[in-house]
Amino acid sequence: MDRISFFQTSPAKYDFAYFTVLHIAHDSSIATVIKLFIMQKAIFYEMTNSKVCVLGAGSTKYGKLNESIIEIALNAAKDAIESAGITPKEIQAGYISNVFGVADKQVHMAPVIMSNLGISHVPGLTIESACGSGSVMFREAYANVAAGFYDCLLALGVEKVTHTGTVHSTTLFSYCSDFFYEGGNGASFPGLFASMARAYMNTHKATEEDLANVAVKNHENGMLNPKAHVHKKITVEDVLKSPVVASPLKLLDCCPFSDGASATILCSEEFAKKSGRPYIEIIGSGRGASPAAVQDREDITTIPSTVAAARQAYRMAGVTPKDINFAEVHDCFTIAEIIDVEDLGFFPKGKAAHAVRDGATRLKGEIPVNPSGGLKSKGHPIGATGVGQVVEVFDQFTGKAGERTVPNAEIALTHNFGATGASAAVHIFRKVDRK
Amino acid sequence: MMEKLSAKESTHQKFIEAANRKKILAHKCSKCGHLMLETVLFCEKCSGSKFEHTELEGAGTVVTYTIQAVAPEGFEDAGSYAWVVFKIDNSQLRASGFLPGIKTPADLPIRTRVRVAGFDPKHGLMLQK
Repeated sequence: MDRISFFQTSPAKYDFAYFTVLHIAHDSSIATVIKLFIMQKAIFYEMTNSKVCVLGAGSTKYGKLNESIIEIALNAAKDAIESAGITPKEIQAGYISNVFGVADKQVHMAPVIMSNLGISHVPGLTIESACGSGSVMFREAYANVAAGFYDCLLALGVEKVTHTGTVHSTTLFSYCSDFFYEGGNGASFPGLFASMARAYMNTHKATEEDLANVAVKNHENGMLNPKAHVHKKITVEDVLKSPVVASPLKLLDCCPFSDGASATILCSEEFAKKSGRPYIEIIGSGRGASPAAVQDREDITTIPSTVAAARQAYRMAGVTPKDINFAEVHDCFTIAEIIDVEDLGFFPKGKAAHAVRDGATRLKGEIPVNPSGGLKSKGHPIGATGVGQVVEVFDQFTGKAGERTVPNAEIALTHNFGATGASAAVHIFRKVDRK
Repeated sequence: MMEKLSAKESTHQKFIEAANRKKILAHKCSKCGHLMLETVLFCEKCSGSKFEHTELEGAGTVVTYTIQAVAPEGFEDAGSYAWVVFKIDNSQLRASGFLPGIKTPADLPIRTRVRVAGFDPKHGLMLQK
């Protein structure tokens, strides 16, 4: 697309920008240049401060699913479209996150999904960032609405791996590590997080019981989520007695391999207001990165990408960790949630284990963490997980979370990372009261 | 312009050859002196791309590890083993590798001394106590 047609097919703000460029070409007096500089600053301000909303959200059940990966994706898309009260014709772009489509014989997934929604002319993009694919994709989708490229788009994550079996799934996931140093030397993902757990326990004197408390709490929440993969109440003793996967982590310290899809409809504030439907607003968005290999991190008990992404998101939203009413965080293993809630600033370094033990992160605690059941109980279809967290916030803020509703919540945070935290994204949402 | 490396000159291949001599191959930035593992192409401190090859003794102390009870494909026949992160002596660098014969945490307290035993095409960087 050339420069002219780009502006001609873009929203009004770009037409205005184009007009200013033409104007400069014909009148270059100092006064005009100053005037146009101010106008262009105003356009930039508007572009970077456009409010972006989530107008609809839907998820399949997470677990072992029999449908094809495309059918799973479409079921979530249909739920999100109906939830938003729109027709597919209003969708201007499709953002899809997925990691192991090849395991179900389908890559280049976005056009296939768009075609099956009856909107084959709508451009799509498929994004992979390991277990953080969903949130990283969501961030790109958010940025494109914020920048004014689209008024309404579909942001959908999907995964199907359970048919490959546990051993092969373990191997597939190890390809998300820095393989030359990690997977290639025999480390599985439970193994990598187990090495982080051992470092944390050694540094902060945490115990295996402390880790088990996270699993017990998230399974308790998952019992209240009809779409959760694992509906099973467990005790600390159950966790400690479950088979060791990679010491010190046991089976019940680990999230399950899950199939599933989650979808959201993102739109401009103007589009959301016109719809007359309930919606929530994205008020903060941050991305971060860490050295890909665990060995290269100065401190193995923290995840730098989380810290960086959270700082950006808090700053953008103008809030602090104390303002967050609940959080959906990346608890692929129990140790991950302990590290996350410290890196997100909810608890000082080394104190999360005690806080979890004291019930601070329970549904009725001071900062409820993973009311959905988290990856640990709700499940972890890795391409969908980050989007599923947004679906939970949408359900919480629009009265659809049932018994697991966090009372009086106004601001929520989602946090999702790829691999051992090599990539991460944090988003902050505000409940919109439509009276 | 950076020259393309042939397979024989690949950074991974050089790392493997050094491991087979029981060494860890590192890059020392010619511009700022920062030390990195051989596989890094640009200095993470100053973005310099000229390096001196530095062979470090393949020995160090255990920083953290796991004992893999459920092994990924290709490691099922390895018996009970640990995946170990260790700090290389006389540097701030860390590397990780495969240490066979570890059955319980009592076999491998943190700060245990380990050394590079070679590179196995199937199991990667081999360590021994």
